[in-house]
Amino acid sequence: MVPLAPPAPAGFPRRAFLAASAGLALLAAGCTAGSSGAPAVSTEESDRLAGQVAVQEAVVAAYAVATSADPALALSDLAAQAGEQLDRLRAAAPSSTSSPAASSSAPPPPPPGGDVRTWLRQQVGGAAASHAAACARQTGARAALLGAVAAGLRGHEAALA
Amino acid sequence: MADDGVLDEGTETAALREVLAAEHAAVWGYGAVGAALSPDAREPAVAGDIAHRDVRDRLVALLDARGADPVPGQAGYTLPFPVLSAVDAAALAVVLEEGVSAAWVRLLDQATEPSVRELAVEELGAAEVRAVGWRTAAGRTPVTSAFPGLS
Repeated sequence: MVPLAPPAPAGFPRRAFLAASAGLALLAAGCTAGSSGAPAVSTEESDRLAGQVAVQEAVVAAYAVATSADPALALSDLAAQAGEQLDRLRAAAPSSTSSPAASSSAPPPPPPGGDVRTWLRQQVGGAAASHAAACARQTGARAALLGAVAAGLRGHEAALA
Repeated sequence: MADDGVLDEGTETAALREVLAAEHAAVWGYGAVGAALSPDAREPAVAGDIAHRDVRDRLVALLDARGADPVPGQAGYTLPFPVLSAVDAAALAVVLEEGVSAAWVRLLDQATEPSVRELAVEELGAAEVRAVGWRTAAGRTPVTSAFPGLS
Protein backbone atom coordinates (compact mmCIF):
# COMPACT_ATOMS: atom_id res chain seq x y z
CA MET A 1 0.00 0.00 0.00
CA VAL A 2 0.98 3.61 -0.43
CA PRO A 3 2.34 5.40 2.65
CA LEU A 4 -0.28 7.72 4.09
CA ALA A 5 2.20 10.49 4.63
CA PRO A 6 4.51 10.51 1.63
CA PRO A 7 7.57 12.73 1.76
CA ALA A 8 6.96 16.39 1.07
CA PRO A 9 6.52 17.08 -2.62
CA ALA A 10 9.86 16.86 -4.34
CA GLY A 11 11.81 20.03 -4.65
CA PHE A 12 10.39 22.08 -1.83
CA PRO A 13 11.82 21.16 1.56
CA ARG A 14 12.84 24.02 3.82
CA ARG A 15 16.44 23.80 2.60
CA ALA A 16 15.31 24.22 -0.98
CA PHE A 17 13.15 27.09 0.12
CA LEU A 18 16.08 28.79 1.80
CA ALA A 19 18.01 28.48 -1.43
CA ALA A 20 15.07 30.00 -3.21
CA SER A 21 15.07 32.88 -0.76
CA ALA A 22 18.73 33.48 -1.52
CA GLY A 23 17.84 33.50 -5.18
CA LEU A 24 15.19 36.07 -4.47
CA ALA A 25 17.78 38.34 -2.96
CA LEU A 26 19.78 38.24 -6.16
CA LEU A 27 16.74 38.75 -8.29
CA ALA A 28 15.45 41.65 -6.26
CA ALA A 29 18.85 43.27 -6.52
CA GLY A 30 18.42 43.36 -10.26
CA CYS A 31 20.29 40.20 -11.18
CA THR A 32 18.56 37.61 -13.28
CA ALA A 33 19.21 34.01 -12.54
CA GLY A 34 21.18 33.76 -15.77
CA SER A 35 21.88 30.12 -16.37
CA SER A 36 18.76 28.93 -14.58
CA GLY A 37 16.53 30.93 -16.90
CA ALA A 38 14.33 31.94 -13.98
CA PRO A 39 12.16 34.96 -14.63
CA ALA A 40 13.36 38.27 -13.28
CA VAL A 41 11.40 39.94 -10.51
CA SER A 42 9.60 43.06 -11.61
CA THR A 43 10.00 46.26 -9.63
CA GLU A 44 6.30 46.08 -8.87
CA GLU A 45 6.60 42.58 -7.39
CA SER A 46 9.66 43.57 -5.38
CA ASP A 47 7.84 46.62 -4.01
CA ARG A 48 4.85 44.47 -3.05
CA LEU A 49 7.08 42.11 -1.12
CA ALA A 50 8.75 45.04 0.63
CA GLY A 51 5.27 46.25 1.56
CA GLN A 52 4.58 42.94 3.27
CA VAL A 53 7.73 43.42 5.36
CA ALA A 54 6.08 46.51 6.84
CA VAL A 55 2.91 44.50 7.52
CA GLN A 56 4.92 41.86 9.36
CA GLU A 57 6.84 44.51 11.32
CA ALA A 58 3.47 45.66 12.61
CA VAL A 59 2.69 42.09 13.72
CA VAL A 60 5.95 41.87 15.64
CA ALA A 61 5.22 45.24 17.20
CA ALA A 62 1.71 44.11 18.13
CA TYR A 63 3.10 41.08 19.97
CA ALA A 64 5.47 43.36 21.89
CA VAL A 65 2.64 45.74 22.80
CA ALA A 66 0.38 42.87 23.86
CA THR A 67 3.10 41.29 25.97
CA SER A 68 3.72 44.58 27.77
CA ALA A 69 0.02 45.17 28.29
CA ASP A 70 -0.72 41.67 29.57
CA PRO A 71 2.32 39.52 30.39
CA ALA A 72 0.03 36.72 31.52
CA LEU A 73 -0.87 36.00 27.90
CA ALA A 74 2.40 34.02 27.53
CA LEU A 75 3.01 34.96 23.93
CA SER A 76 6.69 34.06 23.67
CA ASP A 77 6.30 31.18 21.19
CA LEU A 78 3.98 33.11 18.91
CA ALA A 79 6.08 36.26 19.11
CA ALA A 80 9.21 34.29 18.25
CA GLN A 81 7.52 32.81 15.20
CA ALA A 82 6.35 36.24 14.08
CA GLY A 83 9.96 37.37 14.31
CA GLU A 84 11.13 34.40 12.23
CA GLN A 85 8.57 35.29 9.61
CA LEU A 86 9.78 38.87 9.54
CA ASP A 87 13.40 37.76 9.16
CA ARG A 88 12.50 35.55 6.21
CA LEU A 89 10.49 38.26 4.51
CA ARG A 90 13.33 40.74 4.94
CA ALA A 91 15.77 38.25 3.46
CA ALA A 92 13.51 37.83 0.45
CA ALA A 93 13.00 41.58 0.05
CA PRO A 94 16.42 43.09 0.64
CA SER A 95 15.29 46.44 -0.72
CA SER A 96 12.94 46.89 2.21
CA THR A 97 13.85 49.25 5.00
CA SER A 98 13.39 48.35 8.63
CA SER A 99 13.36 50.73 11.54
CA PRO A 100 11.94 53.90 9.95
CA ALA A 101 9.20 51.94 8.20
CA ALA A 102 8.44 50.06 11.37
CA SER A 103 7.45 53.24 13.16
CA SER A 104 5.01 54.14 10.40
CA SER A 105 3.50 50.64 10.34
CA ALA A 106 3.17 50.29 14.10
CA PRO A 107 -0.24 49.01 15.15
CA PRO A 108 -2.68 51.17 17.05
CA PRO A 109 -2.48 50.56 20.77
CA PRO A 110 -4.97 48.20 22.39
CA PRO A 111 -7.95 50.01 23.89
CA PRO A 112 -7.33 50.96 27.52
CA GLY A 113 -8.84 48.30 29.72
CA GLY A 114 -9.87 46.34 26.65
CA ASP A 115 -9.33 42.72 25.77
CA VAL A 116 -5.68 42.59 24.70
CA ARG A 117 -5.98 39.06 23.37
CA THR A 118 -8.87 39.99 21.08
CA TRP A 119 -7.06 43.12 19.94
CA LEU A 120 -3.94 41.09 19.13
CA ARG A 121 -5.98 38.50 17.28
CA GLN A 122 -7.47 41.24 15.11
CA GLN A 123 -4.01 42.60 14.30
CA VAL A 124 -2.75 39.15 13.36
CA GLY A 125 -5.84 38.39 11.31
CA GLY A 126 -5.51 41.59 9.35
CA ALA A 127 -1.89 40.84 8.57
CA ALA A 128 -2.74 37.29 7.49
CA ALA A 129 -5.33 38.64 5.06
CA SER A 130 -2.83 41.16 3.70
CA HIS A 131 -0.15 38.50 3.13
CA ALA A 132 -2.68 36.18 1.48
CA ALA A 133 -3.81 38.90 -0.92
CA ALA A 134 -0.21 39.73 -1.75
CA CYS A 135 0.54 36.04 -2.27
CA ALA A 136 -1.98 35.83 -5.10
CA ARG A 137 -0.16 38.64 -6.92
CA GLN A 138 3.29 37.09 -6.62
CA THR A 139 4.83 34.05 -8.31
CA GLY A 140 7.22 31.24 -7.49
CA ALA A 141 9.11 31.27 -4.22
CA ARG A 142 7.74 34.69 -3.28
CA ALA A 143 4.18 33.38 -3.49
CA ALA A 144 5.16 30.30 -1.49
CA LEU A 145 6.78 32.42 1.22
CA LEU A 146 3.86 34.82 1.55
CA GLY A 147 1.37 31.96 1.52
CA ALA A 148 3.22 30.11 4.26
CA VAL A 149 3.47 33.25 6.40
CA ALA A 150 -0.22 34.00 5.86
CA ALA A 151 -1.13 30.47 6.89
CA GLY A 152 1.16 30.65 9.89
CA LEU A 153 -0.65 33.77 11.06
CA ARG A 154 -4.01 32.07 10.50
CA GLY A 155 -2.73 29.47 12.93
CA HIS A 156 -1.82 32.22 15.37
CA GLU A 157 -5.36 33.55 15.10
CA ALA A 158 -6.67 30.11 15.98
CA ALA A 159 -4.30 29.79 18.92
CA LEU A 160 -5.39 33.20 20.22
CA ALA A 161 -9.10 32.40 19.94
CA MET B 1 10.11 26.33 -9.48
CA ALA B 2 10.34 23.95 -12.37
CA ASP B 3 13.76 22.50 -13.07
CA ASP B 4 14.35 25.04 -15.78
CA GLY B 5 12.88 27.85 -13.71
CA VAL B 6 9.95 28.38 -16.05
CA LEU B 7 6.40 28.28 -14.73
CA ASP B 8 3.59 27.38 -17.07
CA GLU B 9 0.27 25.58 -17.08
CA GLY B 10 2.14 22.28 -17.06
CA THR B 11 3.95 23.00 -13.80
CA GLU B 12 0.72 24.24 -12.28
CA THR B 13 -1.26 21.19 -13.35
CA ALA B 14 1.41 18.82 -12.06
CA ALA B 15 1.34 20.58 -8.68
CA LEU B 16 -2.47 20.49 -8.64
CA ARG B 17 -2.30 16.73 -9.13
CA GLU B 18 0.15 16.47 -6.20
CA VAL B 19 -2.31 18.36 -4.02
CA LEU B 20 -5.12 16.08 -5.11
CA ALA B 21 -3.06 13.02 -4.20
CA ALA B 22 -2.45 14.53 -0.75
CA GLU B 23 -6.16 15.29 -0.35
CA HIS B 24 -7.09 11.71 -1.25
CA ALA B 25 -4.69 10.53 1.46
CA ALA B 26 -6.17 12.99 3.95
CA VAL B 27 -9.72 11.81 3.28
CA TRP B 28 -8.66 8.21 3.83
CA GLY B 29 -6.62 9.13 6.89
CA TYR B 30 -9.43 11.02 8.56
CA GLY B 31 -11.36 7.76 8.56
CA ALA B 32 -8.67 6.30 10.78
CA VAL B 33 -8.64 9.44 12.93
CA GLY B 34 -12.37 9.28 13.54
CA ALA B 35 -12.33 5.55 14.21
CA ALA B 36 -9.85 6.06 17.06
CA LEU B 37 -11.92 8.75 18.76
CA SER B 38 -14.92 8.27 21.01
CA PRO B 39 -18.22 9.34 19.43
CA ASP B 40 -18.42 12.47 21.56
CA ALA B 41 -14.96 13.58 20.41
CA ARG B 42 -15.37 12.99 16.70
CA GLU B 43 -16.70 16.39 15.65
CA PRO B 44 -13.30 17.84 14.64
CA ALA B 45 -12.53 14.67 12.67
CA VAL B 46 -15.87 14.85 10.89
CA ALA B 47 -15.28 18.51 10.09
CA GLY B 48 -11.81 17.76 8.77
CA ASP B 49 -13.09 14.88 6.69
CA ILE B 50 -15.80 17.05 5.13
CA ALA B 51 -13.35 19.86 4.42
CA HIS B 52 -10.93 17.55 2.65
CA ARG B 53 -13.68 15.87 0.64
CA ASP B 54 -14.89 19.28 -0.49
CA VAL B 55 -11.48 20.46 -1.62
CA ARG B 56 -10.78 17.10 -3.24
CA ASP B 57 -13.92 17.51 -5.33
CA ARG B 58 -12.96 21.06 -6.26
CA LEU B 59 -9.56 19.87 -7.41
CA VAL B 60 -11.05 17.06 -9.47
CA ALA B 61 -13.36 19.57 -11.17
CA LEU B 62 -10.47 21.95 -11.78
CA LEU B 63 -8.32 19.27 -13.36
CA ASP B 64 -11.24 17.97 -15.41
CA ALA B 65 -11.90 21.47 -16.71
CA ARG B 66 -8.36 21.76 -18.04
CA GLY B 67 -8.41 18.29 -19.55
CA ALA B 68 -5.94 16.79 -17.09
CA ASP B 69 -6.53 13.38 -15.59
CA PRO B 70 -7.26 13.68 -11.88
CA VAL B 71 -5.08 11.45 -9.71
CA PRO B 72 -7.22 8.59 -8.37
CA GLY B 73 -7.25 7.78 -4.70
CA GLN B 74 -5.55 4.60 -3.53
CA ALA B 75 -7.51 1.64 -2.20
CA GLY B 76 -5.57 1.88 1.04
CA TYR B 77 -2.61 3.60 2.63
CA THR B 78 -0.03 2.58 5.21
CA LEU B 79 -0.43 4.38 8.50
CA PRO B 80 2.80 6.03 9.68
CA PHE B 81 2.28 4.63 13.19
CA PRO B 82 -0.37 2.62 15.06
CA VAL B 83 -3.45 4.69 15.89
CA LEU B 84 -4.71 3.26 19.15
CA SER B 85 -5.72 6.27 21.22
CA ALA B 86 -7.12 9.77 21.00
CA VAL B 87 -3.62 11.17 21.19
CA ASP B 88 -2.52 8.91 18.32
CA ALA B 89 -5.52 10.07 16.34
CA ALA B 90 -4.62 13.71 16.91
CA ALA B 91 -1.01 13.02 15.94
CA LEU B 92 -2.18 11.34 12.73
CA ALA B 93 -4.40 14.31 11.92
CA VAL B 94 -1.37 16.58 12.35
CA VAL B 95 0.51 14.41 9.84
CA LEU B 96 -2.40 14.64 7.41
CA GLU B 97 -2.74 18.41 7.66
CA GLU B 98 0.99 18.98 7.38
CA GLY B 99 1.07 16.69 4.36
CA VAL B 100 -1.55 18.67 2.49
CA SER B 101 0.10 21.91 3.59
CA ALA B 102 3.35 20.88 1.91
CA ALA B 103 1.45 20.13 -1.28
CA TRP B 104 -0.34 23.49 -1.20
CA VAL B 105 2.95 25.37 -0.73
CA ARG B 106 4.41 23.44 -3.64
CA LEU B 107 1.43 24.57 -5.70
CA LEU B 108 2.02 28.19 -4.69
CA ASP B 109 5.56 27.83 -5.96
CA GLN B 110 4.46 26.32 -9.26
CA ALA B 111 1.22 28.12 -10.06
CA THR B 112 0.76 30.67 -12.82
CA GLU B 113 -2.88 31.63 -12.31
CA PRO B 114 -3.76 34.08 -9.50
CA SER B 115 -7.03 32.21 -8.95
CA VAL B 116 -5.09 29.01 -8.27
CA ARG B 117 -2.84 30.82 -5.81
CA GLU B 118 -5.94 32.23 -4.10
CA LEU B 119 -7.30 28.72 -3.70
CA ALA B 120 -3.95 27.46 -2.45
CA VAL B 121 -3.40 30.15 0.16
CA GLU B 122 -6.99 29.81 1.40
CA GLU B 123 -6.72 26.05 1.82
CA LEU B 124 -3.22 26.27 3.27
CA GLY B 125 -4.55 28.56 5.97
CA ALA B 126 -7.49 26.28 6.66
CA ALA B 127 -5.18 23.28 6.99
CA GLU B 128 -2.99 25.15 9.47
CA VAL B 129 -6.00 26.17 11.56
CA ARG B 130 -7.05 22.51 11.78
CA ALA B 131 -3.44 21.52 12.53
CA VAL B 132 -3.36 23.93 15.49
CA GLY B 133 -6.34 22.14 17.02
CA TRP B 134 -4.83 18.73 16.46
CA ARG B 135 -1.39 19.70 17.78
CA THR B 136 -3.13 20.95 20.91
CA ALA B 137 -5.02 17.67 21.25
CA ALA B 138 -1.80 15.73 20.70
CA GLY B 139 0.00 17.71 23.43
CA ARG B 140 2.48 19.24 21.01
CA THR B 141 4.26 22.53 21.66
CA PRO B 142 4.32 24.93 20.07
CA VAL B 143 0.87 24.42 18.63
CA THR B 144 1.58 26.74 15.71
CA SER B 145 4.04 26.70 12.82
CA ALA B 146 5.80 29.78 11.51
CA PHE B 147 5.87 28.42 7.96
CA PRO B 148 3.23 25.73 7.40
CA GLY B 149 4.14 23.52 4.49
CA LEU B 150 7.80 24.47 4.50
CA SER B 151 9.05 22.28 7.33
